[in-house]
Amino acid sequence: MSSRLTGPAAWLLIPITAAAMVFILAPLVVTIAISLSNTAFVAFPPRGFTLQWYQKVVCDPEFLASLAFSAGLAIAATCGAMLLGVPAAFAVARHQFSGRDAAAAALLSPLIFPVLITGVALLQLFAMVGSNNTALNLLIAHVLVTTPYVVRTAAASLMLADVSLEEAARTLGAGRWRILRRITVPQIAPGLAAGSLFAFMVSFDNFPISMWLADAEHNPIPLLIFQKIASRFEPSVAAMSTLMIFFAMAVVLVVERVAGLRRAIAI
Amino acid sequence: MAATSVTLRTPSAAGPLGKARSTSPSLLAPAAELLPSLSFLALFFALPAVCLISYSFLTQSPEGTVGLPLTLEHYRHFFGTSLYTHVLWTTLRISLCTTAIAVLLAYPVALVMVRAGALATRAITMIVIAPLVISVVVRTYGWQVILGTGPNGVLNWLLLSTGLVHVPVRLLYSETAVVIGSLHVFFPMMVLPLASALGKIDPHLEDAAKTLGATAWRRFRRITLPLSLPGLAVGCTLVFSLTAGSFVTPAILGGNTAQMLGMLVDQQILVVYDWPFGAVVATVLVAIVLTINLVSVRVLDRGNRIIAA
Repeated sequence: MSSRLTGPAAWLLIPITAAAMVFILAPLVVTIAISLSNTAFVAFPPRGFTLQWYQKVVCDPEFLASLAFSAGLAIAATCGAMLLGVPAAFAVARHQFSGRDAAAAALLSPLIFPVLITGVALLQLFAMVGSNNTALNLLIAHVLVTTPYVVRTAAASLMLADVSLEEAARTLGAGRWRILRRITVPQIAPGLAAGSLFAFMVSFDNFPISMWLADAEHNPIPLLIFQKIASRFEPSVAAMSTLMIFFAMAVVLVVERVAGLRRAIAI
Repeated sequence: MAATSVTLRTPSAAGPLGKARSTSPSLLAPAAELLPSLSFLALFFALPAVCLISYSFLTQSPEGTVGLPLTLEHYRHFFGTSLYTHVLWTTLRISLCTTAIAVLLAYPVALVMVRAGALATRAITMIVIAPLVISVVVRTYGWQVILGTGPNGVLNWLLLSTGLVHVPVRLLYSETAVVIGSLHVFFPMMVLPLASALGKIDPHLEDAAKTLGATAWRRFRRITLPLSLPGLAVGCTLVFSLTAGSFVTPAILGGNTAQMLGMLVDQQILVVYDWPFGAVVATVLVAIVLTINLVSVRVLDRGNRIIAA
């Protein structure tokens, strides 16, 4: 295949691709550079070298509270999304029934709807029924936005799994649960793991849903960073952002190792 | 990430497997598996969405309660006030520009991604996908630093120190800044569907055309481009609708000069407390996104029929 990327076309395509890669990486590299700058304001090129902003950030109770809340919310949301999404994926991937396509479309519909508007609509619903439990409201909202991702990766894994193995086990007299536990789950486990990590990140990074439902005591980390960007110009924001970047990179590497990136996000 | 980018197909239609599975209670099992997720969706997605849209036709009393009579007054107010139609046009313009530039930039990247060696493909895939799991807020912060006005902005520092300009350029808080930021945030949504469409093209087609003497440009125009249209349609739909519905990027990079519909919803509901009018803006946004998705589904259907014919 690589031989086909030659000639005058390659002279055009490769530089544009390289430029696009620079474009993608530029804001990340700049953020990391700023976070190490020994100046009290954001300046480029960075002057000096310091880790004081990281020290400041990891001792900041506000940051730690946000981080803990976001992590807990993302874990809970991922569990909820798995509980709802995996059985649904079984239904659409393993059964033929009328309305299957409609069910699949309904399950993925929160992905087409503008997330920002889903957030307002939920705010209105919670206000109408008088649901004042911010943590619970946020959890419901995050389960809603992460479930479609789980359905998609789980359904993709189920379709790739070899059904003839299940058939063989059935012929040999294994019961339904035994087949599920010993044959199906081991085959789709890498896909499920990658999908759940991706769902975790979707919740952990979410802004447009949380912005409607959060309050001062339940302030997810993207909201905290947004507030700091608006109010402060010192490099500690860059340090927080850099920590987020490295965390995301670690997740990407794990997902790539476990199941392959393209498969995990299933686009 | 729209539903259009996913096809859920069962492999069991043929062979003895389908038959074996049909002996299990055929409708009971999927119903039980779907019940929790679909009722959750009905309660926390469909119901609130319908409520919100219906608010746009209701009247808000001075005390803040919303109820009858039904009215179209809020829509008239929205489409009759130049301030609001300006925001609508800005939103459409920014989304269109972002989509157009994304197409131009994504074709080369997707082509290289599909046709380069294994190592390059892997590296490009990682670089394209990695930003997807970094929060939009973090990525937009990076652009704020790059585009910053004054000598401390990265771009201005580059331009000034290379002598390309002598006076710092103003980029932050403009539509251009929002387009650049949105392009960065949603670029993977264009590259990935395009790359999967390009990956499905039989390489022999192009080889045959080459043997027959077609130039590179002609091969692209007659083979690669038409066969990649489904991926292109999905990519354009995703980038356009996600840009139109964005909040963080215009809020940080656009300021007051490049206000978009999302910011207007936020302002009307969290600052002015005008629920019906906020609902109108939200409904307009939803209508734009759904229209784009319907058009794209139509295009995809037609494309599939042409390919099948």
